[in-house]
Amino acid sequence: MQSERRSLLRFLLIYMGSTFLLFSMASWLFYTSTRHHLLDKQREVLKYESQKIESALRELHQSNSAILHYPVSKIGNSAIYDLDKHYIFGTFAHPPQLGARQKHTLSLISKIEPYYLGAAYLLLSKPIDYTPLLALQRNILFFMLLAGGFFAVLGYFLGKLFIAPMRESIKQMNHFIQDTTHELNTPISTILTNIEMIETFGECEQNKDELKRIEIASRTLSRIYDDLTYLNLNHQYHRRIIRLDMAQLIEERMVYFAVMAEVKHLRIKTDVKSGVILEMDRNDAIRLIDNLISNAIKYNKPEGELYVRLTEEYFMVKDGGFGIKKEDLKIIMHRFKRANTSEGGFGIGLDIVNQVVNSYSFVLQITSQLHQGTEVKIQWKK
Amino acid sequence: MEKIMILLWLSAMCIAVEGNAYAEPKNLYTACLKCHQSEQVPSSLVYRRYLMRYSTPERIKKAMFSYLKAPEKADSIMPSQFFLKFPMKKKMQMNDMLLKKYIREYIEQFDVKKRLVLP
Repeated sequence: MQSERRSLLRFLLIYMGSTFLLFSMASWLFYTSTRHHLLDKQREVLKYESQKIESALRELHQSNSAILHYPVSKIGNSAIYDLDKHYIFGTFAHPPQLGARQKHTLSLISKIEPYYLGAAYLLLSKPIDYTPLLALQRNILFFMLLAGGFFAVLGYFLGKLFIAPMRESIKQMNHFIQDTTHELNTPISTILTNIEMIETFGECEQNKDELKRIEIASRTLSRIYDDLTYLNLNHQYHRRIIRLDMAQLIEERMVYFAVMAEVKHLRIKTDVKSGVILEMDRNDAIRLIDNLISNAIKYNKPEGELYVRLTEEYFMVKDGGFGIKKEDLKIIMHRFKRANTSEGGFGIGLDIVNQVVNSYSFVLQITSQLHQGTEVKIQWKK
Repeated sequence: MEKIMILLWLSAMCIAVEGNAYAEPKNLYTACLKCHQSEQVPSSLVYRRYLMRYSTPERIKKAMFSYLKAPEKADSIMPSQFFLKFPMKKKMQMNDMLLKKYIREYIEQFDVKKRLVLP
């Protein structure tokens, strides 16, 4: 469920990101071209006004009047400059240098020829009218928001549509596991009970080895059943937190795995401190211990060493087996991930351990050296 | 007797004021403007033609000086038809310093910059 949400989120992020990028680029291009167009329209007005002033200057040049009234523009300020670009006259409070850029102002420099009143250049400036540009920005922003909302909704439904087959497969797999585990429970229990009865009454002394193998296989099956049930019921499962004697429980589980360890001729060392009490659910504790010990047996070398230690601070299981590659250490706790496929399994053991560790806020540490062995340590307190 | 004295004094004052007021232009006038006036070629019009071609006072000064020193039809600011009616101007024999002074005064007198005002 979590990975499904993560996939959907990733898809949405990529989809929305690329859509946003595309729309931003398109909007920017549109804005730039429209801005140019709007400014060009304002420049056209300047050009027209400039022609009017030029015509007035010509008339003024021919005038014999003692006082010459400079033509004033209604839309902005103007000034005339001589051929050496020296200011002659104008309407500016502070005459600007010809060609100097002014902020928020649209300027037009026109050449005048012949030089009426000595004017070779006419400068006409007017403040830029930002009203249409602001309206354009508002429209683009509104469009972006609208498009963003639309594509977010579309992306969400598309994502759901793409994930639907995956979700269906997972659902089917879960149903299958649920049904299978349910169907496996009865025969496994029957086999194990009957083996115990045979061992108790000792009626099959000559087939003792075969019987042991059947017992190991049955116990393995039983443990897989327990793991799968734990995974399936994990969310609905009601935990009963009790004061649990961890030392006693570890001793019990060691006895349970004794037959498996014996077949591999493992040298078992235990250092279990008695009286270590934890407040946790018994089934959680069993899943934690079982998975670590069974992994240590499974991935150990024949006649290898299995070291189990319990202290007030931590529980540690160490094997002398194949070890795990450095790059696999990061993913080994993910469900269905297996570092070594030489042995049977589904790759759910460490996922269950990780779930239990997270539920109780323990700390899980895995250190491993290839061909040397692996050490898994669970610290009770941070 | 007193009245005659006052009248004589007032007449003398008027002549003196008039003489002072036209002292400077009188030189420019006798040297340049007088001729233009008699030929009925308005100096202000000539100046505007200079302005229209050369734009800046500095350029006008240079152009006028070189033209007055060696008048040529090609250098004149007047149209070619003008010379059908008027003879070509003679070369100025004035000393350069004085000529430059009169040119400067001429430009100052007819400068349009002083006459431009905002309505």
